[in-house]
Amino acid sequence: MSLITTLKTASVVIIGAGISGAAIAYELAKRGQKDIILIEKQYPSSGATGRCGAGVRMQWGTEMNCRLTKYCIERFENLQNELGDQYDLEFKQSGYLMCAATDKEFNQFKTNVALQNSLGIPSRIIDKYEAKQIIPHINTDHMIGGTFCPKDGHLNPFTTTLAYCAAAEKLGVEIQKYTSVVSIDKKRGKIVGVQTDKEYISTPIVVNAAGGYVSEIARMAGVELPLYSQRRQILVTEPVVPIQGPMFMGFVHNIYCQQTPHGSFIMGRGDDDEPKDLDISSGWNFMERQAKNVVKLLPALKDLNIIRQWSGLYNYSPDKQPIYDQIPNVEGMYLAAGYSGHGFMLGPVTGVAMTEMILGLDMTQDVSMLKFDRFEKGNLVIEPSVV
Amino acid sequence: MLKNTGVPTDDLIKSAYPNEARRKKGPFAVIECFQCIPCNPCQTACPRNAIFPMQDINDLPKTDFNKCNGCGICAFACPGQAIFMIDETYSKMDTLVSIPYEFVPLPNIGDIVIGLNREGKEVCSATVHSIKAPNLCDRTPLITLIVPKEWAMHVRFFKQRREDWSCECETKPASKSKNKSKYVCRCEEISEEDIKRLINQGHTTLNEIKIASRAGMGACQGRTCRQLIMSIIAKETGINPQDMPMVTFRPPTKPIKMSILAEED
Ligand SMILES: Cc1cc2nc3c(=O)[nH]c(=O)nc-3n(C[C@H](O)[C@H](O)[C@H](O)COP(=O)(O)OP(=O)(O)OC[C@H]3O[C@@H](n4cnc5c(N)ncnc54)[C@H](O)[C@@H]3O)c2cc1C
Ligand code: SF4
Ligand code: SF4
Repeated sequence: MSLITTLKTASVVIIGAGISGAAIAYELAKRGQKDIILIEKQYPSSGATGRCGAGVRMQWGTEMNCRLTKYCIERFENLQNELGDQYDLEFKQSGYLMCAATDKEFNQFKTNVALQNSLGIPSRIIDKYEAKQIIPHINTDHMIGGTFCPKDGHLNPFTTTLAYCAAAEKLGVEIQKYTSVVSIDKKRGKIVGVQTDKEYISTPIVVNAAGGYVSEIARMAGVELPLYSQRRQILVTEPVVPIQGPMFMGFVHNIYCQQTPHGSFIMGRGDDDEPKDLDISSGWNFMERQAKNVVKLLPALKDLNIIRQWSGLYNYSPDKQPIYDQIPNVEGMYLAAGYSGHGFMLGPVTGVAMTEMILGLDMTQDVSMLKFDRFEKGNLVIEPSVV
Repeated sequence: MLKNTGVPTDDLIKSAYPNEARRKKGPFAVIECFQCIPCNPCQTACPRNAIFPMQDINDLPKTDFNKCNGCGICAFACPGQAIFMIDETYSKMDTLVSIPYEFVPLPNIGDIVIGLNREGKEVCSATVHSIKAPNLCDRTPLITLIVPKEWAMHVRFFKQRREDWSCECETKPASKSKNKSKYVCRCEEISEEDIKRLINQGHTTLNEIKIASRAGMGACQGRTCRQLIMSIIAKETGINPQDMPMVTFRPPTKPIKMSILAEED
């Protein structure tokens, strides 16, 4: 071994190349930041991002979520142009049809639409008959009404992450695939470096964007996060001719189901009996429960063949909203996590907000309500509209 | 079933397999001899007495899995080519299946061949791992194939592939195009050129190629094209297929209709 070992240094190390880490790397580099290293245990989008439902929507029940997702959808509308055409992002805006099963759910949706419209989101209340026009194979026996936003839609999570990564690399970001962060080095409460399974990198800034594994990473710096991970299952069918434009979603019915531009249907549900750990194997009863629900609500899909089932981790925070902040008592360590099931669509704002926070720039979007202190102060952002 | 079609049922096949614990221990002989015929060379050939003695010459042979070490000698002796060696410990993704093969020319080690099931249907691609042709084999060497785990119970024969062959999978949806011969992944219509281009862009593992192109994500779920893609990666990058990171197989093993599941109680 040589006596002179060159020390690897970086100005920022980002852990995790899901949509969050990839967008942060790109936005930082776009603002001229040099010597950024993005470290990924497997390959870009191998975590929750590549396992997600690929849905993007603005129909939310809190001002913050409406505002942030509206910003993101507007970014998605230009993202293919911005990132280049090496990867097809498969962005489609065919809307989300939210199906209300009970009066209570319908009333909530009506309140949501008023809020959404006040923020410039083009959603509207629909009745059963209009629902049938939008998705002809809906069985309206199980709905009393709904809402529709034509600008919601779908985006391919694999290619979107790859496109962010490719654009970041063009701007000089170094991406290390198949590399794991194994420990984090701090001195007097400050980050000084990270150790991967391949080398030591000295850096003053670490961004923890490790998705379901953020708590494991934080523990490497001696911090316990108020976050936990839980398995979510999802399935895809064979591709067929386009028959359903919008995403079909319902909270009481516990379903989301959308046909991708490629022709396959992606669908999932939440199951409360899932264990709170890092297990992402496939459960035996999910497929059956899902099929029953779909055949009841969208009977025409009964003849579709399911070709694959998988699962990924939702990373939950106490109020089911992300945390964008510096980690308390560890100078130089940032966290972007806890999306609780909607972090894919927030990718653009994650990238911009974290970049501006790290570089001390003016914030494009106010995300001050997503800091750690909300849990102590009791200022939780409770979102009524999540699956 | 067997009498009419000549194809044994799943239950019969399972009865020729050892239990889970034994399967994890190493190679073993599966004797798929299900018709009572007056024959017993397998039993006398076995140097370890690992085939239970037959009371009557019309009895069916059964392997004693405590004794069998999968040496393959019985397979050479069997005139009916009814004995196969299975080694499920080969890797997480693949099983070794040794098959008696009496045709010439023999394949070469490393060749990709087309795995056929007991009915002679193409089910997957497989790689030739090794060839055993000792003197006692009587011109029927044992060819050992690397077979995707999910197909190891089914692949019992193979055919060599013409240069322009690409996967012909049973479960493939109606094809969008007529020009099929150039595709590596037919389900998603991805050509060898596409795969090479992706490798050049830095997507050097199966999973990365899959997410960037959908190769292997179609109805066959990569069961048919996986080994072809691996061999292209190996050729382009020099990485040995055995050192390549794994892909996970996910249920269902075969496409299943929504309505069938919905009717389940
Ligand atoms: C079934 C399912 C459906 C979903 N549907 C939607 C949807 O329709 N719309 C939506 O907006 N959101 C959806 N989500 C949520 C969304 O997937 C996530 O919120 C989002 O992808 C999080 O992205 P991320 O980049 O923060 O994390 P991830 O994508 O999980 O990325 C984290 C990365 O960190 C890497 N990593 C972990 N540990 C280490 C280490 N020690 N060293 C190096 N790297 C490491 C991992 O390999 C991983 O690639 C869904 C999630 C699931 C599971
Ligand atoms: S494989 Fe070898 S040990 Fe096993 S039954 Fe055949 S001859 Fe005997
Ligand atoms: S030699 Fe072959 S055909 Fe004869 S009994 Fe044994 S397995 Fe059956």
